Amino acid sequence: MTAIRITRASPLTTLQDAGRFGYLRHGISASGPMDRAAYNRAGTWLGGAGSTAIEFTRTGIGLAVEGGSLAASCDGGSFSLHHNGKAMNWPARLTLQDGDVVEIAPGADGNYGYIRFDHEVDVPLLLGSRSTNLVAGLGGLEGRALRKGDRLELGAQSKRAMSQHPRAVGTEPLPIRFIWGLHADLFGEDVRQSFVVGSFVVSQRIDRMGARLEDRTGVFAGSPILSLVSDAVVPGDIQILGDGTPIVLMRDHQPTGGYPRIGTVIEADLDRMVQLRPGAEVSFEPIRLSKAHALLTAGAQ
Amino acid sequence: MGGSMAHRFAETPPLPNPLIVPLGDQGLLVRFATTLSDEANLATIAFAQQLQERLPEGVTEIDPNLVSVLLKYDPRKVEFERLAGEVRLLVGSGPKLKVRAPRRHRIAVRFGGEGGPDLEEVAAALRLTPESLVAAHNARPLRVLTTGFAPGFVYCGFHPDELVVPRRTTVRASVAAGTLLFAAGQSAITGTAIPTGWHVIGRTEFRNFHPEKDSPTTLREGDELTFEALP
Repeated sequence: MTAIRITRASPLTTLQDAGRFGYLRHGISASGPMDRAAYNRAGTWLGGAGSTAIEFTRTGIGLAVEGGSLAASCDGGSFSLHHNGKAMNWPARLTLQDGDVVEIAPGADGNYGYIRFDHEVDVPLLLGSRSTNLVAGLGGLEGRALRKGDRLELGAQSKRAMSQHPRAVGTEPLPIRFIWGLHADLFGEDVRQSFVVGSFVVSQRIDRMGARLEDRTGVFAGSPILSLVSDAVVPGDIQILGDGTPIVLMRDHQPTGGYPRIGTVIEADLDRMVQLRPGAEVSFEPIRLSKAHALLTAGAQ
Repeated sequence: MGGSMAHRFAETPPLPNPLIVPLGDQGLLVRFATTLSDEANLATIAFAQQLQERLPEGVTEIDPNLVSVLLKYDPRKVEFERLAGEVRLLVGSGPKLKVRAPRRHRIAVRFGGEGGPDLEEVAAALRLTPESLVAAHNARPLRVLTTGFAPGFVYCGFHPDELVVPRRTTVRASVAAGTLLFAAGQSAITGTAIPTGWHVIGRTEFRNFHPEKDSPTTLREGDELTFEALP
Protein backbone atom coordinates (compact mmCIF):
# COMPACT_ATOMS: atom_id res chain seq x y z
CA MET A 1 0.00 0.00 0.00
CA THR A 2 1.28 3.46 -0.86
CA ALA A 3 1.85 5.73 2.09
CA ILE A 4 3.33 9.11 2.93
CA ARG A 5 5.78 9.36 5.81
CA ILE A 6 6.09 12.76 7.44
CA THR A 7 9.82 13.38 7.92
CA ARG A 8 9.43 16.94 9.20
CA ALA A 9 6.30 18.92 10.08
CA SER A 10 5.73 22.60 10.69
CA PRO A 11 3.64 23.46 13.75
CA LEU A 12 -0.12 23.07 13.23
CA THR A 13 0.20 20.96 10.08
CA THR A 14 -3.19 19.31 9.58
CA LEU A 15 -5.26 17.25 7.16
CA GLN A 16 -8.05 19.32 5.57
CA ASP A 17 -10.71 18.55 3.01
CA ALA A 18 -13.27 21.17 1.88
CA GLY A 19 -14.77 21.25 5.38
CA ARG A 20 -17.28 19.77 7.80
CA PHE A 21 -20.44 21.69 7.00
CA GLY A 22 -23.80 21.58 8.74
CA TYR A 23 -22.79 21.06 12.38
CA LEU A 24 -22.73 24.61 13.77
CA ARG A 25 -25.72 23.94 16.01
CA HIS A 26 -23.88 20.95 17.42
CA GLY A 27 -21.00 23.27 18.33
CA ILE A 28 -18.65 22.33 15.48
CA SER A 29 -17.32 24.91 13.05
CA ALA A 30 -16.61 23.81 9.50
CA SER A 31 -12.78 23.89 9.56
CA GLY A 32 -11.42 23.21 6.04
CA PRO A 33 -8.50 24.88 4.27
CA MET A 34 -7.40 28.29 5.56
CA ASP A 35 -6.66 29.31 1.94
CA ARG A 36 -9.50 27.69 0.01
CA ALA A 37 -8.39 29.07 -3.32
CA ALA A 38 -4.91 27.55 -2.96
CA TYR A 39 -6.41 24.21 -1.92
CA ASN A 40 -8.66 24.32 -4.98
CA ARG A 41 -5.82 25.31 -7.31
CA ALA A 42 -3.71 22.38 -6.11
CA GLY A 43 -6.62 20.14 -7.11
CA THR A 44 -6.81 21.79 -10.53
CA TRP A 45 -3.08 21.27 -11.22
CA LEU A 46 -3.44 17.60 -10.41
CA GLY A 47 -6.70 16.83 -12.18
CA GLY A 48 -8.62 14.31 -10.10
CA ALA A 49 -7.22 14.95 -6.64
CA GLY A 50 -8.32 13.18 -3.49
CA SER A 51 -10.36 15.55 -1.32
CA THR A 52 -7.91 15.56 1.57
CA ALA A 53 -4.86 17.85 1.53
CA ILE A 54 -1.99 18.26 3.94
CA GLU A 55 -2.08 21.88 5.08
CA PHE A 56 1.34 22.97 6.33
CA THR A 57 2.52 26.25 7.81
CA ARG A 58 5.35 28.71 7.21
CA THR A 59 8.29 26.44 8.01
CA GLY A 60 7.17 23.83 5.47
CA ILE A 61 7.20 20.05 5.58
CA GLY A 62 9.23 17.00 4.56
CA LEU A 63 7.68 13.85 3.08
CA ALA A 64 8.89 10.45 1.95
CA VAL A 65 6.93 8.08 -0.30
CA GLU A 66 6.60 4.48 0.83
CA GLY A 67 5.49 1.54 -1.25
CA GLY A 68 4.26 2.83 -4.60
CA SER A 69 3.98 5.62 -7.12
CA LEU A 70 1.57 8.53 -7.17
CA ALA A 71 1.03 12.05 -8.41
CA ALA A 72 0.95 15.07 -6.11
CA SER A 73 0.54 18.83 -6.41
CA CYS A 74 1.43 21.83 -4.26
CA ASP A 75 0.18 25.39 -4.00
CA GLY A 76 -0.42 28.17 -1.49
CA GLY A 77 1.87 31.09 -0.64
CA SER A 78 5.35 30.76 -2.08
CA PHE A 79 7.55 27.97 -0.72
CA SER A 80 10.89 26.48 -1.75
CA LEU A 81 10.36 22.96 -3.14
CA HIS A 82 12.87 20.14 -3.72
CA HIS A 83 12.05 16.72 -5.17
CA ASN A 84 14.84 14.22 -4.48
CA GLY A 85 17.17 17.16 -4.00
CA LYS A 86 16.24 18.88 -7.23
CA ALA A 87 14.81 22.40 -7.02
CA MET A 88 11.33 22.73 -8.51
CA ASN A 89 9.05 25.65 -9.30
CA TRP A 90 6.20 26.63 -6.98
CA PRO A 91 3.33 25.76 -7.42
CA ALA A 92 4.03 22.30 -8.79
CA ARG A 93 2.78 18.96 -10.00
CA LEU A 94 4.99 15.99 -9.07
CA THR A 95 5.21 12.35 -10.07
CA LEU A 96 6.51 10.42 -7.10
CA GLN A 97 7.94 6.89 -6.79
CA ASP A 98 8.61 4.61 -3.84
CA GLY A 99 11.47 6.12 -1.83
CA ASP A 100 11.15 9.66 -3.23
CA VAL A 101 11.63 12.55 -0.84
CA VAL A 102 9.94 15.93 -1.00
CA GLU A 103 11.27 18.88 0.99
CA ILE A 104 9.23 22.04 1.26
CA ALA A 105 11.18 24.86 2.91
CA PRO A 106 10.10 28.37 3.87
CA GLY A 107 9.73 30.70 0.93
CA ALA A 108 9.10 34.32 0.15
CA ASP A 109 5.46 34.53 0.95
CA GLY A 110 2.48 33.15 2.83
CA ASN A 111 1.56 31.20 5.96
CA TYR A 112 -0.22 28.14 4.53
CA GLY A 113 0.64 25.66 1.79
CA TYR A 114 -1.12 22.56 0.50
CA ILE A 115 -0.07 19.25 -0.91
CA ARG A 116 -2.68 17.03 -2.54
CA PHE A 117 -2.47 13.54 -4.02
CA ASP A 118 -4.24 11.58 -6.73
CA HIS A 119 -5.48 9.35 -3.90
CA GLU A 120 -7.67 9.87 -0.88
CA VAL A 121 -5.82 10.02 2.43
CA ASP A 122 -7.05 7.00 4.36
CA VAL A 123 -8.23 8.52 7.63
CA PRO A 124 -11.80 7.97 8.87
CA LEU A 125 -14.62 10.22 7.73
CA LEU A 126 -16.06 11.95 10.78
CA LEU A 127 -19.42 13.72 10.35
CA GLY A 128 -18.94 13.65 6.61
CA SER A 129 -15.44 15.13 6.52
CA ARG A 130 -11.77 14.31 7.02
CA SER A 131 -10.88 17.87 8.09
CA THR A 132 -9.01 18.28 11.36
CA ASN A 133 -10.65 20.55 13.94
CA LEU A 134 -7.84 21.25 16.40
CA VAL A 135 -10.08 23.13 18.85
CA ALA A 136 -12.46 20.21 19.29
CA GLY A 137 -9.77 17.57 18.68
CA LEU A 138 -11.82 16.00 15.88
CA GLY A 139 -11.18 14.51 12.47
CA GLY A 140 -7.98 14.21 10.45
CA LEU A 141 -5.41 11.93 12.05
CA GLU A 142 -6.60 11.28 15.62
CA GLY A 143 -7.98 14.84 15.85
CA ARG A 144 -4.48 16.29 16.11
CA ALA A 145 -1.78 18.11 14.17
CA LEU A 146 0.57 15.95 12.09
CA ARG A 147 4.08 15.38 13.38
CA LYS A 148 7.36 13.83 12.34
CA GLY A 149 7.09 10.08 11.93
CA ASP A 150 3.36 9.99 11.11
CA ARG A 151 2.46 7.58 8.30
CA LEU A 152 -0.52 8.49 6.12
CA GLU A 153 -1.85 5.55 4.13
CA LEU A 154 -3.35 6.44 0.80
CA GLY A 155 -6.66 4.92 -0.23
CA ALA A 156 -8.36 4.56 -3.55
CA GLN A 157 -6.96 6.42 -6.54
CA SER A 158 -9.10 9.36 -7.57
CA LYS A 159 -10.91 9.50 -10.88
CA ARG A 160 -8.80 11.19 -13.50
CA ALA A 161 -9.90 14.62 -14.59
CA MET A 162 -8.45 17.35 -16.77
CA SER A 163 -5.29 18.70 -15.20
CA GLN A 164 -3.72 22.10 -15.79
CA HIS A 165 -0.13 23.22 -15.90
CA PRO A 166 0.64 24.83 -12.53
CA ARG A 167 1.03 28.58 -12.65
CA ALA A 168 1.64 31.11 -9.93
CA VAL A 169 -1.29 33.36 -9.09
CA GLY A 170 -0.12 36.78 -7.98
CA THR A 171 -1.82 38.69 -5.20
CA GLU A 172 -1.84 42.44 -4.95
CA PRO A 173 -1.47 44.25 -1.65
CA LEU A 174 -4.99 45.64 -1.77
CA PRO A 175 -7.08 46.40 1.29
CA ILE A 176 -9.01 43.50 2.77
CA ARG A 177 -12.67 44.06 1.96
CA PHE A 178 -15.40 43.56 4.53
CA ILE A 179 -19.10 44.01 5.19
CA TRP A 180 -20.15 46.05 8.23
CA GLY A 181 -21.04 43.68 11.06
CA LEU A 182 -23.92 43.22 13.42
CA HIS A 183 -22.35 45.41 16.12
CA ALA A 184 -20.92 48.12 13.85
CA ASP A 185 -23.39 50.69 15.18
CA LEU A 186 -22.14 50.19 18.73
CA PHE A 187 -18.72 51.58 17.84
CA GLY A 188 -19.70 55.10 16.93
CA GLU A 189 -19.12 56.99 13.71
CA ASP A 190 -15.62 58.22 14.65
CA VAL A 191 -14.35 54.71 15.45
CA ARG A 192 -15.87 53.28 12.26
CA GLN A 193 -14.21 56.05 10.29
CA SER A 194 -10.77 55.51 11.82
CA PHE A 195 -11.12 51.74 11.35
CA VAL A 196 -11.50 52.29 7.62
CA VAL A 197 -8.76 54.90 7.18
CA GLY A 198 -6.33 53.34 9.65
CA SER A 199 -4.04 50.40 9.20
CA PHE A 200 -3.18 47.42 11.39
CA VAL A 201 -0.27 45.00 11.65
CA VAL A 202 -0.62 41.20 11.65
CA SER A 203 0.71 39.99 15.02
CA GLN A 204 2.69 36.82 15.81
CA ARG A 205 -0.48 35.28 17.21
CA ILE A 206 -2.09 33.75 14.16
CA ASP A 207 -3.58 30.28 13.95
CA ARG A 208 -6.55 28.37 12.58
CA MET A 209 -8.88 30.01 15.13
CA GLY A 210 -8.01 33.58 14.34
CA ALA A 211 -5.43 36.24 13.51
CA ARG A 212 -4.77 38.88 16.14
CA LEU A 213 -3.91 42.30 14.78
CA GLU A 214 -1.86 45.06 16.36
CA ASP A 215 -3.77 48.31 16.59
CA ARG A 216 -0.75 50.63 16.71
CA THR A 217 -2.71 53.81 16.14
CA GLY A 218 -5.21 52.93 18.87
CA VAL A 219 -8.36 52.84 16.75
CA PHE A 220 -10.08 50.71 19.38
CA ALA A 221 -8.23 52.05 22.47
CA GLY A 222 -10.93 53.51 24.69
CA SER A 223 -13.79 51.51 23.11
CA PRO A 224 -16.31 50.76 25.84
CA ILE A 225 -16.39 47.19 27.12
CA LEU A 226 -19.77 45.92 26.07
CA SER A 227 -21.72 43.10 27.58
CA LEU A 228 -23.41 41.43 24.61
CA VAL A 229 -25.65 38.43 24.35
CA SER A 230 -23.62 35.71 22.66
CA ASP A 231 -24.43 35.30 18.99
CA ALA A 232 -23.48 33.31 15.90
CA VAL A 233 -19.93 33.72 14.57
CA VAL A 234 -18.71 33.14 11.02
CA PRO A 235 -15.20 32.94 9.53
CA GLY A 236 -13.95 36.43 8.73
CA ASP A 237 -15.68 38.14 11.65
CA ILE A 238 -13.57 41.02 12.93
CA GLN A 239 -14.05 40.85 16.67
CA ILE A 240 -12.73 43.42 19.13
CA LEU A 241 -11.59 42.08 22.50
CA GLY A 242 -12.13 43.95 25.76
CA ASP A 243 -8.60 45.40 25.64
CA GLY A 244 -9.18 46.73 22.11
CA THR A 245 -7.32 43.99 20.24
CA PRO A 246 -8.93 43.15 16.89
CA ILE A 247 -9.03 39.47 15.87
CA VAL A 248 -10.11 38.19 12.47
CA LEU A 249 -11.76 34.84 13.15
CA MET A 250 -10.71 31.93 10.95
CA ARG A 251 -11.85 28.44 9.94
CA ASP A 252 -11.65 26.82 13.40
CA HIS A 253 -13.58 29.67 15.06
CA GLN A 254 -15.83 29.01 18.02
CA PRO A 255 -19.40 28.82 16.65
CA THR A 256 -20.68 31.56 18.98
CA GLY A 257 -19.11 34.57 20.61
CA GLY A 258 -19.91 37.46 22.90
CA TYR A 259 -17.38 40.06 21.76
CA PRO A 260 -18.49 42.94 19.55
CA ARG A 261 -17.86 42.51 15.84
CA ILE A 262 -17.39 45.55 13.68
CA GLY A 263 -17.45 43.69 10.38
CA THR A 264 -16.86 40.45 8.48
CA VAL A 265 -14.12 39.93 5.88
CA ILE A 266 -15.70 38.79 2.62
CA GLU A 267 -15.18 35.17 1.62
CA ALA A 268 -13.34 36.21 -1.55
CA ASP A 269 -10.65 38.04 0.49
CA LEU A 270 -10.26 35.66 3.42
CA ASP A 271 -7.73 33.52 1.52
CA ARG A 272 -5.55 36.60 1.02
CA MET A 273 -5.97 37.60 4.66
CA VAL A 274 -4.79 34.23 6.03
CA GLN A 275 -1.59 34.39 3.98
CA LEU A 276 -0.48 37.75 5.47
CA ARG A 277 2.56 37.14 7.61
CA PRO A 278 3.23 38.59 11.05
CA GLY A 279 4.48 42.14 10.57
CA ALA A 280 2.47 42.71 7.39
CA GLU A 281 0.37 45.85 7.28
CA VAL A 282 -3.31 45.42 6.61
CA SER A 283 -6.10 47.89 5.98
CA PHE A 284 -9.81 47.31 5.57
CA GLU A 285 -12.28 48.58 3.01
CA PRO A 286 -16.05 48.33 3.45
CA ILE A 287 -18.02 47.10 0.44
CA ARG A 288 -21.65 46.39 -0.28
CA LEU A 289 -23.06 42.90 0.04
CA SER A 290 -23.96 42.77 -3.65
CA LYS A 291 -20.32 43.52 -4.55
CA ALA A 292 -19.13 40.72 -2.25
CA HIS A 293 -21.51 38.32 -3.97
CA ALA A 294 -20.28 39.38 -7.41
CA LEU A 295 -16.70 38.74 -6.29
CA LEU A 296 -17.62 35.38 -4.80
CA THR A 297 -19.34 34.27 -8.01
CA ALA A 298 -16.41 35.49 -10.12
CA GLY A 299 -13.93 33.64 -7.90
CA ALA A 300 -15.82 30.37 -8.20
CA GLN A 301 -15.52 30.31 -11.97
CA MET B 1 -46.46 12.61 26.21
CA GLY B 2 -49.00 12.79 23.41
CA GLY B 3 -52.32 14.44 24.14
CA SER B 4 -54.43 16.71 22.04
CA MET B 5 -53.09 19.31 19.65
CA ALA B 6 -54.09 21.99 22.12
CA HIS B 7 -51.52 20.66 24.54
CA ARG B 8 -48.82 20.06 22.02
CA PHE B 9 -48.25 23.67 21.08
CA ALA B 10 -47.75 26.81 23.10
CA GLU B 11 -48.21 30.08 21.30
CA THR B 12 -45.58 32.72 21.77
CA PRO B 13 -46.76 36.27 22.39
CA PRO B 14 -46.85 38.36 19.19
CA LEU B 15 -43.27 39.03 18.25
CA PRO B 16 -41.53 42.30 17.77
CA ASN B 17 -40.24 42.59 14.21
CA PRO B 18 -36.87 40.89 14.26
CA LEU B 19 -33.82 42.61 12.86
CA ILE B 20 -32.61 40.89 9.69
CA VAL B 21 -28.95 41.61 8.98
CA PRO B 22 -26.17 40.10 6.90
CA LEU B 23 -23.47 38.22 8.80
CA GLY B 24 -20.68 38.09 6.27
CA ASP B 25 -21.55 37.35 2.66
CA GLN B 26 -23.09 33.93 3.26
CA GLY B 27 -25.05 34.46 6.45
CA LEU B 28 -28.38 36.06 7.26
CA LEU B 29 -28.98 36.69 10.94
CA VAL B 30 -32.50 37.00 12.32
CA ARG B 31 -32.23 38.76 15.68
CA PHE B 32 -35.31 38.77 17.89
CA ALA B 33 -33.65 40.95 20.52
CA THR B 34 -30.30 42.39 21.51
CA THR B 35 -30.59 41.22 25.11
CA LEU B 36 -31.57 37.87 26.51
CA SER B 37 -35.17 37.42 27.59
CA ASP B 38 -37.52 34.48 27.93
CA GLU B 39 -39.76 35.91 25.22
CA ALA B 40 -36.96 36.43 22.68
CA ASN B 41 -35.51 32.99 23.36
CA LEU B 42 -38.91 31.32 22.87
CA ALA B 43 -39.41 33.24 19.64
CA THR B 44 -35.99 32.07 18.46
CA ILE B 45 -36.80 28.45 19.24
CA ALA B 46 -40.20 28.66 17.55
CA PHE B 47 -38.71 30.23 14.44
CA ALA B 48 -35.89 27.66 14.27
CA GLN B 49 -38.42 24.84 14.55
CA GLN B 50 -40.50 26.36 11.80
CA LEU B 51 -37.46 26.75 9.53
CA GLN B 52 -36.35 23.20 10.22
CA GLU B 53 -39.55 21.84 8.72
CA ARG B 54 -38.73 23.41 5.38
CA LEU B 55 -35.48 25.24 4.76
CA PRO B 56 -35.96 28.18 2.39
CA GLU B 57 -34.42 27.83 -1.06
CA GLY B 58 -30.65 28.37 -1.03
CA VAL B 59 -30.31 27.93 2.75
CA THR B 60 -27.63 25.35 3.57
CA GLU B 61 -27.76 25.32 7.36
CA ILE B 62 -29.51 26.98 10.27
CA ASP B 63 -27.88 27.73 13.60
CA PRO B 64 -30.18 28.91 16.41
CA ASN B 65 -28.56 30.99 19.16
CA LEU B 66 -29.91 32.50 22.39
CA VAL B 67 -31.98 35.24 20.70
CA SER B 68 -31.18 34.85 17.01
CA VAL B 69 -31.07 32.33 14.20
CA LEU B 70 -28.27 32.28 11.64
CA LEU B 71 -29.26 31.11 8.16
CA LYS B 72 -26.24 30.12 6.09
CA TYR B 73 -27.07 30.51 2.43
CA ASP B 74 -25.48 30.12 -0.97
CA PRO B 75 -25.59 33.53 -2.68
CA ARG B 76 -25.38 31.77 -6.04
CA LYS B 77 -28.75 30.16 -5.30
CA VAL B 78 -30.65 32.92 -3.53
CA GLU B 79 -30.26 36.67 -3.20
CA PHE B 80 -30.05 38.16 0.27
CA GLU B 81 -33.04 40.46 -0.26
CA ARG B 82 -35.22 37.63 -1.48
CA LEU B 83 -34.30 35.45 1.48
CA ALA B 84 -34.86 38.37 3.86
CA GLY B 85 -38.32 38.85 2.33
CA GLU B 86 -39.16 35.20 2.82
CA VAL B 87 -38.02 35.36 6.45
CA ARG B 88 -40.14 38.49 7.04
CA LEU B 89 -43.17 36.62 5.75
CA LEU B 90 -42.47 33.68 8.04
CA VAL B 91 -42.04 35.73 11.22
CA GLY B 92 -44.53 38.40 10.23
CA SER B 93 -47.25 35.88 10.87
CA GLY B 94 -46.76 36.79 14.55
CA PRO B 95 -48.93 34.64 16.78
CA LYS B 96 -48.75 31.78 14.30
CA LEU B 97 -45.26 31.03 15.59
CA LYS B 98 -45.57 28.17 17.99
CA VAL B 99 -43.12 26.31 20.15
CA ARG B 100 -43.52 22.56 19.98
CA ALA B 101 -44.18 20.62 23.14
CA PRO B 102 -40.73 20.01 24.54
CA ARG B 103 -38.93 16.71 24.51
CA ARG B 104 -38.19 15.89 28.14
CA HIS B 105 -35.02 14.46 29.63
CA ARG B 106 -33.88 13.59 33.15
CA ILE B 107 -30.31 14.53 34.03
CA ALA B 108 -28.85 12.88 37.12
CA VAL B 109 -26.18 15.03 38.73
CA ARG B 110 -23.78 14.48 41.61
CA PHE B 111 -23.69 17.97 43.12
CA GLY B 112 -20.70 19.29 45.05
CA GLY B 113 -17.63 17.32 46.04
CA GLU B 114 -14.82 16.75 43.58
CA GLY B 115 -17.06 17.27 40.55
CA GLY B 116 -18.67 20.43 41.93
CA PRO B 117 -16.00 22.39 43.82
CA ASP B 118 -17.86 25.73 43.71
CA LEU B 119 -21.18 24.52 45.17
CA GLU B 120 -20.53 25.66 48.72
CA GLU B 121 -19.18 29.05 47.68
CA VAL B 122 -22.15 29.71 45.40
CA ALA B 123 -24.58 28.61 48.10
CA ALA B 124 -22.90 30.95 50.60
CA ALA B 125 -23.09 33.84 48.12
CA LEU B 126 -26.83 33.20 47.80
CA ARG B 127 -27.21 32.78 51.59
CA LEU B 128 -28.34 29.20 51.15
CA THR B 129 -27.07 25.89 52.38
CA PRO B 130 -25.63 23.64 49.64
CA GLU B 131 -28.62 21.30 50.13
CA SER B 132 -31.16 24.09 49.70
CA LEU B 133 -29.33 25.42 46.63
CA VAL B 134 -29.49 21.95 45.06
CA ALA B 135 -33.18 21.70 45.93
CA ALA B 136 -33.87 25.13 44.45
CA HIS B 137 -31.81 24.32 41.35
CA ASN B 138 -33.81 21.15 40.74
CA ALA B 139 -37.18 22.53 41.81
CA ARG B 140 -38.43 22.96 38.26
CA PRO B 141 -37.39 21.87 34.81
CA LEU B 142 -35.08 24.10 32.79
CA ARG B 143 -35.33 24.77 29.06
CA VAL B 144 -32.39 24.21 26.73
CA LEU B 145 -32.00 27.84 25.63
CA THR B 146 -29.51 27.06 22.91
CA THR B 147 -26.67 24.79 21.85
CA GLY B 148 -23.55 25.33 19.79
CA PHE B 149 -21.04 27.20 21.97
CA ALA B 150 -18.83 24.09 21.91
CA PRO B 151 -19.53 20.48 20.86
CA GLY B 152 -22.51 19.21 22.87
CA PHE B 153 -22.60 22.27 25.16
CA VAL B 154 -26.09 23.39 26.27
CA TYR B 155 -27.26 26.57 27.99
CA CYS B 156 -30.30 25.99 30.24
CA GLY B 157 -32.57 28.48 31.91
CA PHE B 158 -33.94 30.39 33.47
CA HIS B 159 -33.41 30.32 37.22
CA PRO B 160 -35.46 32.73 39.34
CA ASP B 161 -33.84 36.02 40.41
CA GLU B 162 -32.91 34.69 43.84
CA LEU B 163 -30.56 32.14 42.22
CA VAL B 164 -28.63 34.58 40.05
CA VAL B 165 -24.89 34.87 40.66
CA PRO B 166 -22.29 36.49 38.39
CA ARG B 167 -19.55 34.45 36.73
CA ARG B 168 -16.26 33.80 38.48
CA THR B 169 -13.58 36.43 38.11
CA THR B 170 -11.05 33.81 36.96
CA VAL B 171 -11.23 31.21 34.22
CA ARG B 172 -10.56 27.51 34.81
CA ALA B 173 -8.30 26.23 32.04
CA SER B 174 -10.31 23.04 31.58
CA VAL B 175 -13.36 21.29 32.99
CA ALA B 176 -14.37 17.77 31.92
CA ALA B 177 -17.26 16.71 29.68
CA GLY B 178 -20.43 16.31 31.75
CA THR B 179 -19.68 19.24 34.07
CA LEU B 180 -22.69 21.20 35.38
CA LEU B 181 -21.98 24.93 35.26
CA PHE B 182 -23.91 27.71 36.95
CA ALA B 183 -23.91 31.50 36.46
CA ALA B 184 -26.01 34.47 35.40
CA GLY B 185 -29.35 32.76 36.02
CA GLN B 186 -28.47 29.76 33.89
CA SER B 187 -27.07 26.27 34.17
CA ALA B 188 -25.00 24.68 31.44
CA ILE B 189 -23.71 21.19 30.70
CA THR B 190 -20.39 20.71 28.94
CA GLY B 191 -20.16 18.16 26.12
CA THR B 192 -16.37 18.21 25.86
CA ALA B 193 -13.52 19.48 28.01
CA ILE B 194 -13.48 23.30 27.77
CA PRO B 195 -12.16 26.31 29.66
CA THR B 196 -14.82 28.19 31.62
CA GLY B 197 -15.42 31.15 33.88
CA TRP B 198 -18.69 29.72 35.19
CA HIS B 199 -19.09 28.13 38.62
CA VAL B 200 -18.66 24.36 38.64
CA ILE B 201 -21.40 22.85 40.81
CA GLY B 202 -21.74 19.21 39.75
CA ARG B 203 -21.01 16.35 37.40
CA THR B 204 -23.26 14.10 35.33
CA GLU B 205 -22.65 10.82 33.57
CA PHE B 206 -24.84 12.08 30.73
CA ARG B 207 -22.83 12.80 27.58
CA ASN B 208 -24.32 15.09 24.96
CA PHE B 209 -21.62 14.66 22.34
CA HIS B 210 -21.05 11.49 20.30
CA PRO B 211 -19.03 12.47 17.22
CA GLU B 212 -19.34 8.99 15.70
CA LYS B 213 -23.11 9.46 15.28
CA ASP B 214 -24.64 11.26 12.29
CA SER B 215 -26.49 13.52 14.67
CA PRO B 216 -23.71 13.98 17.22
CA THR B 217 -25.72 15.67 19.97
CA THR B 218 -28.90 14.60 21.75
CA LEU B 219 -30.25 17.79 23.31
CA ARG B 220 -31.89 20.47 21.19
CA GLU B 221 -32.98 24.00 21.92
CA GLY B 222 -36.45 23.93 23.45
CA ASP B 223 -35.94 20.58 25.22
CA GLU B 224 -36.88 20.44 28.89
CA LEU B 225 -34.40 19.08 31.42
CA THR B 226 -35.32 17.84 34.87
CA PHE B 227 -32.25 17.71 37.10
CA GLU B 228 -32.04 15.10 39.83
CA ALA B 229 -29.50 14.94 42.62
CA LEU B 230 -27.59 11.71 43.03
CA PRO B 231 -26.71 10.86 46.62
